[in-house]
Amino acid sequence: MILQKARGIRIDGAKSMSKTSPLREYLDPKVVYIPLVQQTFPLKRLVEPGESVAIGQIVAMREGFTEMPVHASVSGKIAAIKKVWHASGRMVEAIEIENDFLNRYDPAVKPEKDPEALTPEQLIEKMKQAGLVGLGGAGFPTYRKYCTKCAIDTIIINAVECEPYMTCDCLQVEKTPEKLLKGLRYFMKAAGATRGFIAYKDYNAGIREALEPLLPHYPGTSLFALNDRYPAGWEKYIVESVVGKTYQKLPSEIGVIVNNSATAIAFADMVEDNLPLVRRVITITGEGITSPQNFHVPLGTKVQDLVAMSGGYKEGLDPKNAWYLAGGPMTGRAILVDELVVSDTLGAVVVLPMPAEKLHPECLGCGQCADVCPVHLTPTEIKRALDRKDLKAIGSLNADKCMACGLCSYVCPSHIEIADYVAKAKESLKKGA
Amino acid sequence: MARFAGGKAPYLRIADQPGQGTNVVMRDFLIGLLPVVLFAWYKNGIQVYLDGNIAIMEMFYPFVFILLGGLSSLLMEGLSFYITDKENRSLKGLMKRLHTSFSLIPGLILALLLPLYTPVWVLLFGAFMASIVAKMLFGGFGHNIFNPALLGYLAVGFTLSGVIAAAGGALNASEVLVDTYAGATPLGILAATKQIDYQTLVAPYGNLWNFLLGTIPGALGETGALAIIIAYIWFSVRKVIKWSTPLIYIGTVFALSWLIGIFAGDAGIWFPTYSILSGGVMFGAVYMATEPVTTPKNPWGKVVFALFLGALTVLFRFIGNFPEGVGTSLIVMNMFTMPIDNLTAQMRSAGLRKATFVKGGLLVVLLGALIAYALFKASTIYSLSIITRIFLQGVM
Repeated sequence: MILQKARGIRIDGAKSMSKTSPLREYLDPKVVYIPLVQQTFPLKRLVEPGESVAIGQIVAMREGFTEMPVHASVSGKIAAIKKVWHASGRMVEAIEIENDFLNRYDPAVKPEKDPEALTPEQLIEKMKQAGLVGLGGAGFPTYRKYCTKCAIDTIIINAVECEPYMTCDCLQVEKTPEKLLKGLRYFMKAAGATRGFIAYKDYNAGIREALEPLLPHYPGTSLFALNDRYPAGWEKYIVESVVGKTYQKLPSEIGVIVNNSATAIAFADMVEDNLPLVRRVITITGEGITSPQNFHVPLGTKVQDLVAMSGGYKEGLDPKNAWYLAGGPMTGRAILVDELVVSDTLGAVVVLPMPAEKLHPECLGCGQCADVCPVHLTPTEIKRALDRKDLKAIGSLNADKCMACGLCSYVCPSHIEIADYVAKAKESLKKGA
Repeated sequence: MARFAGGKAPYLRIADQPGQGTNVVMRDFLIGLLPVVLFAWYKNGIQVYLDGNIAIMEMFYPFVFILLGGLSSLLMEGLSFYITDKENRSLKGLMKRLHTSFSLIPGLILALLLPLYTPVWVLLFGAFMASIVAKMLFGGFGHNIFNPALLGYLAVGFTLSGVIAAAGGALNASEVLVDTYAGATPLGILAATKQIDYQTLVAPYGNLWNFLLGTIPGALGETGALAIIIAYIWFSVRKVIKWSTPLIYIGTVFALSWLIGIFAGDAGIWFPTYSILSGGVMFGAVYMATEPVTTPKNPWGKVVFALFLGALTVLFRFIGNFPEGVGTSLIVMNMFTMPIDNLTAQMRSAGLRKATFVKGGLLVVLLGALIAYALFKASTIYSLSIITRIFLQGVM
């Protein structure tokens, strides 16, 4: 129905900044910090200070429903257990590993003899043992998506990267298209799917040029171009565009699984080399960075080092008047201190000078926030219900549907923190229920 | 280590970009008033002067009158800030508050709604009702329930219309000389005769092109349909208003008027055209039915608002006691803005569920009943007049 279709809007991606320089490898930081938290779950530490570890050795366990191991990303000695800044905006405990620069790998990390012979069950077990999580930002354990009772016929690789400033996914796909397609094929096999799509934004000609010649070697796979819209990279948006169907809670209801492109590339390494999730690509960019670029780094690398390698902060940048954003400017989080470490869900660090102060009037009621909302909420009404603490009204306005894309605040001509009000309403709904 | 600033996501905002934000929206709104102001000045000042019916100083009167409306609103709001906010009485503080209050607008629109020869003290009274009663007492910009200018206009219309008529009313010095105008606006004739007849409704003013150009008697701003269309295009391009609202509103009035014409025995397209081009339909559609603060924010709510507004306008215009239906229907719909917004927000966010259809069905039934009543009532009034006419013709 035309009235119900989520449209989104075009946002200046500011991607050219970090896209012009090539992807840089930086695999040997002096020290890494493996955070003892994933999403909001604390991890159980399995190593003590003083112990020596190799790349790919299990150092911690995630427990419960989403149980899986977490691995060391460099070889060396456990120096200490320290508190570090995490992408979630809090300080968390982390295992400090001092690099011995020997690049010793765990014995389990060895090339797989015949990756094509693996059964779906073996592939899913590999996802779990390699500690694969969604690298797009959600950080949900990938194997959990594949342990579904629903019949899956379609895998969609999300290479849309709709967050402005971020270029890590796109650059990685352009550099290793083969790996992406291999990862997709293994995903399809693990799920028993017959169709594989790679969704990307239509202006990303680089992705198309890199992948198109390879597609014939991978039966069942095809490309799918999406319009340059925010939030085109949202799972529901992609599934709706590609498959033409929508779902209530999870895409598996209609036989679809969506994985990020970086996750697929990491999975190819896991299947063929048994290399667990120890590295990722991260974008260091923003108007506050001298020469923005992308780095391929071990998890736990200090972002400060990467900023220094990018030429440091621009001269004249006043930290008191600038944002240090983990994850990007739309859905990311302002981190107060720049001592952040790279974690599984951190795709970008964007340093932006704050815009000049303006005098903003009250809400004029233009309704643009309701107009752009991809899930058709009316933020002004939700705010009104929140103001009078009417939980029932908040519920009937479906505030829980909000997926925090931030478009309402983005378009507001009066600069109202309307997305924050909706988030609060959603929160109060959770507490009340 | 460096300490950075905090804040709330998202960190990119349209409002922060140059040439964006509410101030720019309101500036664009003021620019959109220009065509109508200029037309009102041309029609009631320049053209009359060129006809040789007024002196050169009088030529500026319409323009000064409209500006006076805006200025009086500005002063009144400034005064109200001065009185209510004891800590912020410096000129700078007041300017800051006026800057985010957009005080010129109620007075300007009010002046455009009034007839040319409205005494200035009546204008001031209207501006007081608009800026102080309808706007500041409700909490200022963004908090008012009723359209300020409209409330001022209705207050003047209900209490002082006799004073305005005595002072000269809407007819300018040139129009007074035209015999066929008979001291009435086109809608006044319809209200008086209750006859749908081209000869009595349109012919005295020439033809329908004059209605489009606006060279017919009426309040300062409301007759210039063409000027209003220009403003509408400007608003739509600049995204000051939602482009669809005026179209839905005018479309509803057009369709219902046509039906009434058919019931009354005249299926000619001239009648619905006459109906949307006379009175304040165009002005109300572009400047008031889209006024963001007092109309629904939800896109579905805007559609519902415009549909009901159209039905009510027709009801009040053809059945009520006053010739105009636009102002009254707008003020009534202003009252329903919040419930409409709430209901449509629920429907829209719930998607295509049963509850949505139940609520939507309720709205359709309500609208249908309203339209049915309006058509039924109008058909009895206007068909009757035709029968009377035929009967009278037969007798004579």
